[in-house]
Amino acid sequence: MTDWLNLNFIDSLRLGGEGMLHGGLPTAWVTVTLAGMVAALIFIQPRQLTHQQGTVAQYTTAFLYGVGRLVMISPHWLIAMRVLATAIFLLVIAAGLFGTAIPERNLATTLTWTLWWTGVIIAIYFTGSSWCAICPWDTLANWLVRQRIWFKSSIAKGLNLRVPKWLRTVWPASAMFIGLTWLELGLGITTSPYATAVLALTMVTMTTISLLIFERKAFCRYFCSIGRTIGAYAELSPFAVRPLQHDVCAQCKTLDCYHGNETIDPCPTHLVIGRGEEIRYCTSCGACVFSCPHHNVGWRWQSNPLQRFLNTHMNSSEAWFILILLALTSFHGITMLPIWESMVHATASWLNDRGQLMMTFSLFMLLALFIPAIIYSVAIKITSLTSSGIEHHRLLNQFSLPLLPIAFCYHIAHNLTHLTRESQGFITVLANPLGTNTLPLSMMEKHQRHLYPLLPDNMIFTLQSILMLLGFIWSIRLFQQRRVQLYLSSIKTLPILMVIIGASLFNLWLLLQPMIMRM
Amino acid sequence: MMIRTILAVLGIFCYLSPAVAHHVLGRPTYSLSENTTTPPSVQIETQIGKYFVTVMAFPAFPRANEAGRIHLYGQRIDGKGSLAAPITFKVHDDNWFATNEEMLGTQMPLENIYKQAFIFNKDGDYIITAEYNSDGEPYTIDFPLTIGKPLPIGTIGFFSSLIFVSLISINVIQRRRMQRMQTQRHHDDNGLS
Ligand code: SF4
Ligand code: SF4
Repeated sequence: MTDWLNLNFIDSLRLGGEGMLHGGLPTAWVTVTLAGMVAALIFIQPRQLTHQQGTVAQYTTAFLYGVGRLVMISPHWLIAMRVLATAIFLLVIAAGLFGTAIPERNLATTLTWTLWWTGVIIAIYFTGSSWCAICPWDTLANWLVRQRIWFKSSIAKGLNLRVPKWLRTVWPASAMFIGLTWLELGLGITTSPYATAVLALTMVTMTTISLLIFERKAFCRYFCSIGRTIGAYAELSPFAVRPLQHDVCAQCKTLDCYHGNETIDPCPTHLVIGRGEEIRYCTSCGACVFSCPHHNVGWRWQSNPLQRFLNTHMNSSEAWFILILLALTSFHGITMLPIWESMVHATASWLNDRGQLMMTFSLFMLLALFIPAIIYSVAIKITSLTSSGIEHHRLLNQFSLPLLPIAFCYHIAHNLTHLTRESQGFITVLANPLGTNTLPLSMMEKHQRHLYPLLPDNMIFTLQSILMLLGFIWSIRLFQQRRVQLYLSSIKTLPILMVIIGASLFNLWLLLQPMIMRM
Repeated sequence: MMIRTILAVLGIFCYLSPAVAHHVLGRPTYSLSENTTTPPSVQIETQIGKYFVTVMAFPAFPRANEAGRIHLYGQRIDGKGSLAAPITFKVHDDNWFATNEEMLGTQMPLENIYKQAFIFNKDGDYIITAEYNSDGEPYTIDFPLTIGKPLPIGTIGFFSSLIFVSLISINVIQRRRMQRMQTQRHHDDNGLS
């Protein structure tokens, strides 16, 4: 098998050198945020909202109208963006497979984990689910299966089977989200360009196989955890593909947005856009924009996205997806705390875990998933016991929505640190995407990055505080909205309110802690 | 209105506060030590028994027929001293059915660091095992070591064939389905069914 040569090297080695920690939110910022939260609790009262308020009157086309119009005039802009995104994606794969294994010098790891995965979450607020419109693995799959990246293919390719009923939930996406988090935080693929490239190829393969077997885009609707995460968060974005006049949709007989026409595909995720329901499944693909014979659909800016939730009803798989999102975003924060390492080591020694301590990691991850789930279920149970007539599962589904802004805002606040402190030097990586003949970052370079983040410390802290406060305010407003819709008193829903407060405070505490730098 | 007021107050407050710089130094998670001549390919920090053990393998990209080395350092959790017992390093292939464990050598610490050199003559994935006795208890640390780079062509080949095979087989199935449907339609049209 092997030949061995035993030598003793006597070179100087300093073990356990220094890694970098980002400073956490200073106490002063936390105090102001807490004061804001208390004020929100006192002053936000349920308002009687009517369904009229959630309709077209709320959509103002002023902002981004120009951009929206430009994209609506012709699909060529969209096609160009898809081609560009796909070219970059292929470059990422090439860099991962053929480039250096040093993560901070390789385009695959820096672009995927430091820029894209952190940036895409932040971008959702401003661009809704637009990522899915240019998603490269979906573009590649389309091209492979239908030999098209836009416009309908003339003959039916693939089996076009209906997704079995038991699979028509977001449980597959939840499982994939848990799996990806395990790979990211447990196995550490964020620091392996090769593994990153393999993951990218896996995404292309899964999307292609799904497109070959199932009708429309089952992968986007049921299986893709990235799409579902974007979709869930995009519910909170004011930017979305929407109808201009609801009356026009109400009187439409052809439903071309749903069925497609001779040249344009039907809605890939089975939406009738005019109904304005299940907006979380919209991939902003633009098909309905171009197929609508009345030109009644476009990218729109809604001044108050919370109004939309009047019509939003979650099923249980969607409710659990939100809870998983909340749990795993916080878990992400936990794994970057300095205390994490000692916690893992102590548990590993107790479990007699060896090697990469994957057993210990998996155990912690399971706990991170189960603890919030148990707490939330207990709170719902207490509320359902005191409010006769409302089923437990209905409460569980409906009150999951107020947890979404907490997850979203913490996710952005956390990613802001990664993005502003770790994305420096990206231009250098862009100039040498494969990192040929490069050396790892020296401590000096790390210090430089740490000392000069993209935004000043004060601004990062301010943005994080604002985000935490906004998340809480949104959450409380949604909670009050749901409570009124279900005719529940504040006393009966107190356990759920406690969960919202607890989750917000825990996330705020996480931000208060220093965070270990990833690259 | 209330939200805007809160945000305005928060914004003003934040800019009036002095900047708080946190330059706390900690342990590396993904990084390497600057004083080493080459970066390690693996760095594992774990707690085993009464010791924090750090293992590194050098160079960053070990290759077949090139010398490499393993550094192991164990410090007592209570901070009272370092690991001093002899450590035996072994190696076996990283697959489920590997039985061919081989001995790399037994080392004593040099300035608290155990250094075990190696040369592999074949690229591949291996598991290095470090065994020692401390306070009468036997301990074993396993860690993975990859020699050579995984072959990118192999990876591309694997995924391309997977996609290709799926495309071909679904195409064949689809053609058969269409033919069947056409025959069926033909039969129906002629009233043969
Ligand atoms: S849902 Fe997933 S596969 Fe579909 S477009 Fe979005 S990111 Fe791509
Ligand atoms: S067709 Fe319209 S509603 Fe359906 S996913 Fe595309 S943009 Fe969204």
